Formats: sequence, C-alpha cells, structure tokens
Amino acid sequence: MSALTHAHSNPHHEHPDVVGSRNRLGLVLILVADIAFALSVLFVYFYLKGQNVNDMWLPAATDDQVATTPVSSTGAWYLTVLVGVGLLTHTYALKGARVKNQTQLVLGSGIALVASVLAMVYQVMQMSAAPFTITWGAYASCYFLITGLNTVHLALTVFIALGNWNRSRLGLYRADHWHVTIVRVWWTWMFVSSALGAFALSFP
Amino acid sequence: MTTMMERPAAAPGSAAPKKALIERLNLFTALGLGVASAVVVWYLAKTFLPQNTEESVIKTREDQVVLLAMIAWFIGFMIGIGAFIGPFRWVLGRDLSHDENMFYAGKDQGIKRYFRYTTDHKVVGIQYLVVTIIIFFVGGVLAMLIRTNLGYAEGGWLHPQAYNAIVGIHGIVMIVGTIVMITGPFGNFIMPIMIGARDMAFPRLNALSFWLVVAAIPPMLSAFWLGGITTGWSAYNPLASQAPPGMDGYIMFICIFAISTMVAGANITTTAVRMRAKGMTWNRTPIFIYGVVASVALALPAFPVFFLSQIMSALDRSLSSTFYDVRGGGSGWLYENLFWLMGHPEVYVILIPAVAALMEMAPVFTRRPLFSFNLAIMGIAGISGLSVLVWAHHMYVAGWAPLLNGPFMLTTELISIPTGMLFLVLIGTLWRGRLWMTMPTASIYALLWNFMIGGITGIYLSDVPIDAFLHGSMFVTAHFHYTLMGAGLTGALASLVYWFPKMTGRMFDKTLSWVSFCLVQIGFNVTFIGMFLVGLAGQPRRVEAYAEVFSRGNLITTMGAYTIMAGMLVLLHGVISSWRSGAKAPMNPWFAKTLEWTVPNPVPLENFEVLPVVTSDAYGYGKAKS
Repeated sequence: MSALTHAHSNPHHEHPDVVGSRNRLGLVLILVADIAFALSVLFVYFYLKGQNVNDMWLPAATDDQVATTPVSSTGAWYLTVLVGVGLLTHTYALKGARVKNQTQLVLGSGIALVASVLAMVYQVMQMSAAPFTITWGAYASCYFLITGLNTVHLALTVFIALGNWNRSRLGLYRADHWHVTIVRVWWTWMFVSSALGAFALSFP
Repeated sequence: MTTMMERPAAAPGSAAPKKALIERLNLFTALGLGVASAVVVWYLAKTFLPQNTEESVIKTREDQVVLLAMIAWFIGFMIGIGAFIGPFRWVLGRDLSHDENMFYAGKDQGIKRYFRYTTDHKVVGIQYLVVTIIIFFVGGVLAMLIRTNLGYAEGGWLHPQAYNAIVGIHGIVMIVGTIVMITGPFGNFIMPIMIGARDMAFPRLNALSFWLVVAAIPPMLSAFWLGGITTGWSAYNPLASQAPPGMDGYIMFICIFAISTMVAGANITTTAVRMRAKGMTWNRTPIFIYGVVASVALALPAFPVFFLSQIMSALDRSLSSTFYDVRGGGSGWLYENLFWLMGHPEVYVILIPAVAALMEMAPVFTRRPLFSFNLAIMGIAGISGLSVLVWAHHMYVAGWAPLLNGPFMLTTELISIPTGMLFLVLIGTLWRGRLWMTMPTASIYALLWNFMIGGITGIYLSDVPIDAFLHGSMFVTAHFHYTLMGAGLTGALASLVYWFPKMTGRMFDKTLSWVSFCLVQIGFNVTFIGMFLVGLAGQPRRVEAYAEVFSRGNLITTMGAYTIMAGMLVLLHGVISSWRSGAKAPMNPWFAKTLEWTVPNPVPLENFEVLPVVTSDAYGYGKAKS
C-alpha cells in the first residue's frame, strides 16, 4: 500500500459534523441489535400464540385459578401516544437548537423528559394492574416480557432525556447540537418499539 | 467530582493532592465492589425472599438468590471499573476534559493501564489477547479432563454429573474464546492502524466491551461450584430449566457477553466505515477489515436473539414463567429456534475473520497480489448472507417443521459455494507464488486441509437422511472441531505469530512457532479423525463411558489430544519467552504493505504522527510501482 502523509491541522478536534455523523451511525448500529431483539420478542409472542400448546396460551379456569383474561391493548396504545408526545416535543427542541433558540430547546427537552417519566410510571402501573401473574400461561408470560422490556427501554429514555434537558439548560448545545439530533433517533425508535408492543398486545 | 484539570498542584513539602475518582478505579476496585455487592445482595435475598413451601406457586428461591447475586456482581464490577463515569458525566453536563481523556487513553501509566478502564485500542487489544489466552487455557484443561476420562471405555474417574458439567463449560468457554480470538486482540489492536485511524470510533465503548467480557467470566466459572452446566453448551430448554443453579451462571454469562458483542459490533463497524484514511476506498481496504466487519456485523443482529432466549430462560427458572414449559403453553422448539438463529451465524462469526486474516497474510508470504479481491468479498458476503438462513439444519431430528427440512438442506448446501470462493482465493494466491515459508504460511495450507474436511463433513450433515443417522454422534463433534478449531484457531494462531512483532515489539521465536504448529496440527488431525471414525461407528457424544468396540478410536483420539496440549504449551511458552526476551522486531519484519507496518514499535499513543493518505491497494506485490 502506497501511503503519502499529511499533517493534520488539529488531531484532537474534529469537526462536530464528522463526530456527529459517526455517533449517529454508531447509535443506528446499536439500534440494529435492539431492533433484532424487539423483533425476536414479537416472534416469541406470535409463535406461542400460534402454537397454543396444551390450550395454555390463555388457560381456562380451573378449581384453583380463574381463567386468564387478556389485558386490553388500549393502555399500550395510550402509552405509545405518550411516547409520541415525547418524540414530538424533542423534535420541537431540536428545531430550537437548529435556530439557536435556547428557550425552545430547554422547553422541548423538559417536556420530553416529563413525557418519558410519565410513560415509565404508566407502564409500571399497567404491569402492576394486570389481572394475572407471569406464571398464568404463555400469554401472561409474554405480556410481562413485552411490558417489562418496554419499562427498561423507558428507563433508558428517562436517563437520556434527563441528560439532554440538563445539557440544554447548561447551554452546552449552543455551538453544535449533534447530541440532540442523535437523541431524536433514540426517541423515534422508542416510539416504534412501543407501537410494536401495542400492536402485538392487540392480538391476544 | 474533582477532575484532573481542576486539581491543584501539590505545594512542595505538603501531602500529595487527593486523587480524582477516575484515577482511583481499577481492576481491584472493580473486583472488590463486585464481590461486596454480590455478597450483600446474596445475604439480603437469602434473608428476605420467601421460602419455598408446599403451597407456594413459585419454587425457585435458589435461582432467584443466585441470579440476584450475579446481577449485583455485574453492576458492582462495572461501577468499580469506572464504566458509568462517562454516561453520568454526560448527564451532568460535565464532559471529560482533554486531560481526562488522555488519562483514560492510558497516557504515561505504564503497566497500570492494563488494569484500568483504558480506552486506547492497543491496550484493549493486549487485554483481549491475555484474556483470550486465559479462556483457552481454562477450556483446554477441561478438554484434557474430558479426553482423559474417555481414554478408556469404562471412563469412571469422573462422576457422570461432573463429566456433563465439564463438557458444558468446556463448550461454552471455547465458543466464547473462539468468538473473541481474532476480533478481540487483532480487531482492536491492528484494525484501526490498518485503516489509518488514531483510535476506534468510540474508545470508551471499546473499553466497555472488553470489561463486560471480564465481568461475564466469574458467573460462568461459578457454575463449577453450583452444579455445573449439565446440558451441554446449547443449554436446551426445558432441560435447562431443570438444571442446577450453575445454569444461572451460564445465563448471566451469555447476557453480559451478548451486550459486549453488540457494543463491539457497533464500534468496529463504525470505525471501519467512517474512519478509514483518506484515499482508502473500499477497493483499497485490506481484506482483513472486511473479515472483521462481516464477523461483527453478523453478530450484531444474531446475539440479541440469544440474549432474549437466555432472559426467558432466567424468567422460567426464577419466576416460573412458561416460555419453554409445555405445561404452561411454552415450547422447547421456541428455544431451539432462538438458539440456532444465533448459533449458526456464530460459526461464521468465528470463521470469517480467521480466513480473512490468512488471506491478508497470503500475499505477504507469496509476494503476489491477492488472487481476485472481488471474489474474496463476494465469498465473505455470500457466507454472511446465507448463514442466517440455515439454522434449522440443527433441528432435523427435533421434529420441528419437517416440511422445511428440504429448503434448509438446500440453503445449507448452497453455503459451500461462497466458501469455495474463499478456498479459490487462497489457492489462487499460493499458486506459483515465491513462498516465504513461515508458520503463518504453513497455517494457510493447514487451514485449507482442515477446512476442507470440516466443510465436506458439513455437507454430509446438512443432508437430512445422513443427519438422521449421524445426529448426536461423535461425528458431529469432530465436524465442528474441524471448522472452529481446524480452521478458526489455525487462523488465530497464525495471526498471533504474524502480528506479534507489532503488538509486543518482539519477534515470535521461530523455532517454537514451528514446533507448536507441527504438534498442534498433527495432534489435531489424529484427534478428530479418530473421533470421526468412532462417530461413524455410532458412538454418541456427551457420554461419559462407551462400549468396548469404540476403545481403539478413543485411545487414538486421547493421544492426539495430548499432542495438541503439548503444542499449545509450547506456544504458550513461546508467547511468554518471546514477549519477555525475544529479538527486537523491526518496524516491518515481513515487508508487508498494509499501514500497520508503517508505524514504529512501540506504536505511539495516537498511532500516526500525521495521518496517512492512501494511494494504492495493499496487495501490489510484484508490480513495478508498488
């Protein structure tokens, strides 16, 4: 390999667009793994539903236990809407960052943070209000798998939204805002994954 | 949090200034915090979790205690090593300063940097190398226990339960060892320099992926004291849900390792895509880079599926969910599908970088251009693509979807076509080359021989009627050892000798490399040809004792295994002695043309004083202007 050399103007400071582009690709690749994971969860749900082994997808009532009745998916769709609000407000914040409007950036980030917290609390409430436990057949197991993993997603979203809001508040995105752009990629995936979960739970 | 920049200098005669947090954390704080967390959580769980009673629905207290303690170990270890400092500093809006980043990179820290959350890719590469050697040592000792027990028909000196546990742990330890053996040490140390970058795209994720592997090992090894992994490395359910708590160690190990693999996959792929030197077009990118990227890109969607299968296994064991329990509407076939959706691509995660490494060396030692660079890329792409469409050939005799046996037989046999392309590239490069006969050169021939046997026996096993006869026999064991060890490990050992001068600044002892090569390759073929024979004769795998009729083949196999052991010990001696007192390596001992050989030994912290601009491909041997 022939190689010429040239002096780098400043090896320690790359252009923010270059760094942002690299970070966005990195996040997208991590999301590829997360998407594979989410699709596997859907596969598990529909595979066990389709197999209905021993008629135990939704077990009938026995002497010891009442029948497992599926949870309405309305709550899961409400949750998706809540995450959608987070995505929209974060997008509003991003637009603020692009036009150097600090107030819009902080306000949008703050509302997105509140939306993420509310979504997580709502998800936990849904889990605790389920009329069955994880042991009550395949549907119950899958229900807690989907909602549990969504809770983990939402906890990560709270962490990210908190950081994003705090950094906005401190004015760290005045010079460049590629962090905010990347956080929107995450929010978009959270919205899609919540919708996928709600979609699955619509077919008990 | 005191940053290094903010810390005031100590006045003369006064006490040394207080160390910042990132300076205090290292492997020992990680071990301390991990163990302390595990013990505290174990005690609390033992004290407060409800006892199993006749009336209780969930009788899984033991697994809950073990899993909680292991999760606590994992979190404590990662806090103790400093993995969470970066994310929390990001949330607080206090990004790491340049000095702190330099500290993380291991600047001026000597040997201490190898015990810290160091981000320099070269340090991570060396850390991976050492850990890989340790993993192979553990797996090798277990292999020798297995073969010693099988040396005589009666077996007997290992209890059958202990034998099963050893086979299971040997399997998963070696699988993980072979997954990381190329992309870990050489993907980290060599790849960024080879593409003309100063470091990986995400240095902290790089350190994270390594320390996750380290955090995963103790739960795995704890299985020895928790009843072992009695299911074999595949941990099929519902068998796994009935196994002793050692299975919880397996589950934790896989979950942590899967996260490591995902992080490493995103990092390595981004580095190769976005950080290649100016002028390094895809046509000028070395073939080794393609191999490493294909490997990690394949692992990226494959390991999350395995991760999920283990989360569900943990839930079945600890909370009595019913994903795999047919009494509650679960299915064992569900596990098999999830497992092999990862399990077969994983074979190529291991193989592709090993073959690519040897394709990288072939032009160097034949002084000829790589034969048909494009064909090599087509082969790698073809294998990667087809490898996700063949998983059910592991399930022909399981009874799952018999109508799909034909299509899966076809896709499996199709994979021999892109594999053949890689053979063609290697043979074409060797053809009429002026061979420089080194251990890596001989390894290319060894790979062609071993991989040919592994590949052809793989075609037998992909054939539904033959598989019905051979499934679960020693023939299968011999087949996958021929691919993973005969091809994969051969490539890794050649890589070790080839890149040893750049990684350590010392030449690998030539005599020891040859002695080791001969012992390992002869021993390997004796071992596994013997295993093929007993497998064809009908000896099942995973049995502690066997019928007298298989005695001769097993004795030959055990003798071969001891020969491999001798070869590996010679290699280990070679690594240690050459590293300590080998001849100092020149900058480019092989007169190779890739960029890693243009930087001095030891490689500077940021690799290149000035970034290179690439003007031709890496295989211009024998050309007038190369």
